[in-house]
Amino acid sequence: MTAVVFALLASLPAAAFGPALRECANCHPAQAKPHPASAMAQALEPASSGALLQSHRSLAFKSGAFSYRIERHGNESIYTVTDGGQTISTPLLWSFGAGSLGQTYVYSWGGQLYQSRVSFYRALDGLDFTMGARNSNPKDLTEAAGLRMSKDDQVQCFSCHATHAAQGRNPDLLHMTPGVQCERCHGETGNHLAGLQSGNAAQAHLNSLHSLSTEGQSNFCGGCHRTWDQIASSPGLGVLNVRFQPYRLTNSKCYDVDDRRIACTACHDPHQPLSHDAAAYDRQCQACHAGGKPSAHACKVAATGCSGCHMPKVEVPDAHHSFTDHQIRIVRANAPYPE
Amino acid sequence: MYRSLVILCACACLYAQAPSDPQAIFKQAIEAQKNGRLEEAAGLYQQLVKSYPNIPELRSNLGATLAAEGNYAEAIRQYQSALKLKADPQVRLNLALAYYKSADISSAIGELKQVRSAAPGNVQAALLLADCDLRLGRNAEVVALLTPLQRADPDNRAYIYLLGTALIRNGDSAQGQLMIDRILKNGDSAEARLLMGTTKFMVSDFSGALADLQKAVELNPKLPDLYSYYGQALLLTGDQAGARRAFEQELSMDPNNFDSNLRMGVLLKQDQENERALAYLQHALQIRPGDFGVRYQIATIELANGNLQHAQQELEEILAESPQFLEAHVSLATVYFREKRKADGERERALVAKLNAARQATNEVAAKPVQ
Repeated sequence: MTAVVFALLASLPAAAFGPALRECANCHPAQAKPHPASAMAQALEPASSGALLQSHRSLAFKSGAFSYRIERHGNESIYTVTDGGQTISTPLLWSFGAGSLGQTYVYSWGGQLYQSRVSFYRALDGLDFTMGARNSNPKDLTEAAGLRMSKDDQVQCFSCHATHAAQGRNPDLLHMTPGVQCERCHGETGNHLAGLQSGNAAQAHLNSLHSLSTEGQSNFCGGCHRTWDQIASSPGLGVLNVRFQPYRLTNSKCYDVDDRRIACTACHDPHQPLSHDAAAYDRQCQACHAGGKPSAHACKVAATGCSGCHMPKVEVPDAHHSFTDHQIRIVRANAPYPE
Repeated sequence: MYRSLVILCACACLYAQAPSDPQAIFKQAIEAQKNGRLEEAAGLYQQLVKSYPNIPELRSNLGATLAAEGNYAEAIRQYQSALKLKADPQVRLNLALAYYKSADISSAIGELKQVRSAAPGNVQAALLLADCDLRLGRNAEVVALLTPLQRADPDNRAYIYLLGTALIRNGDSAQGQLMIDRILKNGDSAEARLLMGTTKFMVSDFSGALADLQKAVELNPKLPDLYSYYGQALLLTGDQAGARRAFEQELSMDPNNFDSNLRMGVLLKQDQENERALAYLQHALQIRPGDFGVRYQIATIELANGNLQHAQQELEEILAESPQFLEAHVSLATVYFREKRKADGERERALVAKLNAARQATNEVAAKPVQ
C-alpha cells in the first residue's frame, strides 16, 4: 500500500501541488504577492521541479567506502549510493529547504520514505553529510543512503515544510501543498470565504498571528521553529540550539511575554523574504531602547547595527552556516555560548 | 491453601452443634472452590464466617476464594483479619500476593519482609520480594537480597535470572554478564536474551538491544517484562506503532507492569488520547506511588486539558520534593504564563536557565583535559 502511494506521488506532475494562493491574493495582495518568493513558501518542493536540482545537474560526495551521486535525468534527479559492490539508485521525491542555506532530500526505497544521508550546502555549492549524520555508523548500504522516516517523522517534517501534510497523527502526502502556504498558519479558508460571501463575520474569522500575544506567537512559530518549552526540557544541544529562534529569544533579558515589540512578527514578516537590512531591525530595537521602555537602556556604544553586536552569528558545525543568535544580550569577550 | 482446608476441617468439628450444619456447608464450599465455582464458594465461606468469625482458616479460605475471583480488596481484608487471629506466614504470603496483584507493591514488600523474618527459607517469598523490588526500581535491594541466596543455591535459575536483571539494571554489567553466562551454559534462552538486551539497552545500544529482544520474543514470548523492554527498544529505534503493540502485549499478560503502563500513557498522550493516557498513568502511579515521572506526565495532561489549577498544584508539589526536576520547572512556567502570573512564570524560566547554566558549567569542567 505504502509503495503504491509513493509511486503515485513520484508520478504526479508538480502542477498538482501548485499553491492555491490566487484567491487569497484577490483580497490580500500585500501578503500573497511577495509570499511565493519567501523561504517559508519554498520550504518544500518536488525534486522533479526544484530549481536547485535543475541547476545542479551532477552532485557527488564520497565518504569511506560509500559514494553518493545526484544526477539529473530529464525531470528526475536520481540519487545513487554505492559501496563499490552494491548500489542503491532511486529518484528523489522531495527537496526540503529553499536552498538558500541548503537542501535535504527525501526518497522512497522498499516502500519506505528515507531522508538522504547527504545534503546540499550553499556555502560548499555541493554535498556533505546531512546534519547529525556525520558520526552515524551505517551497518549496510540502506543505512548509508539515508535514515528511514517513521510515520511520526513524516508528520513532523512534512507538516512544517508543507501545508495540509497530515490528518491527525497520519501523514497525508497526497493532499498536501508544498511549502508553508496561507492555510498552514491561518487555517482553512473555505469557511472564511463562505462567511465573507454571506456576510457572516464570525464564520469569516481567520487565525491571525497579530491576535496572538508575544508568548502566543512564540509558541505558534515555535510549533516548527521549536518552542522554549521543547528546548528547555532537552538541554545539552550546545550551539545547535541557535537554530531554534523562539527558544533563544525567550531567553533574552528583554523578552517580555506581553510586549509585542519583542514578538516574532515585530521583526519578521512571514509573507516576505527574510530581510537582511540591519537598519530595519535597528528600528525594532530602538522602539524600546530609544526611550520607549523605561527599563530598556540606551546602548552606550552605538545607535545602529544593534543585531551585529547583540545578536551575534554563531557557526553551527556541519550546517556550513552561521546562524543569527536570537538570544539578545550583551556579548562579553570569551564568554561561552549561553545554552 | 489446602493445608488450611485440612486445619479448617478439624476446627469446624468444634462447631458441629451449630444449627446450620457448618461441616456440610464447609465441604460444599471446598467442593465449589476446587471446581472453580468461586462465587458459590465465597458465599458459603461468608455464611460460615458470619457464624464463626474467629476461625482464621475460614477467613483465609474466603480470602483465597475472593482473590481467585479478582476481588483483591476484600481478599486483603479477610487475610488481614485471619492474621490478626493467627500469625501464619503462608497466609501473609497470600496477603502479599493479593497486594501484588492489586498493584500495591509497597504493601506487598512490607508483608513479604515479615514472611522472610518468620520463614527465612521461603524461596517463593524471596523471589516475590525480588520481583516487587524490581518493579519499584529498587535494584540495589534485589542485589543485596539475592546475592547470598544465589551463592547458597547456585543452580537456582530463578535466582540467577532475577539477580542478573537487578545487576544489569543497577549498572553492574560485569557481574550481570556472569549471570548471563551461567544462563547460557544451558543453551540460548529468552531469559539470557532479555538480559543481554537489557545490558545493551542500559548503554543506549538500542538497535543491538532490539535484536536480542526480538530473539527473546521468538524463544519465549511469555517471559515477564520481555515485551516491556522490547517495546522500549522499538520506541527508541523509531517504531512507535510496534512499541505500542508490545506494551499492550505486556499489559495483557501483566497489567501491573510499571514501564508498560507509563510508556503507554506517554504514547497515548502524544496521540492526544488524554483520557486513555490518564488511565494508564494512574495505574502506573498505583504501582509506584509518588513516582515523579508519572506525576509529571499526569500534570502535563492536566495542562493540555486546560486544568491549570490541577497542573499547577501537581507541579508545585513535585518541585517541592524534587527541586532539580527541570521539565517540571519548564511546564510550571507554562502554567503560570497561561494563568497570567507573569512574575511567577519568569521566576520559573529563570530557574530553568540557572539549572541549565549549572549543567553546562559542570559539563565544561568535565570536558577540560586534566593538566
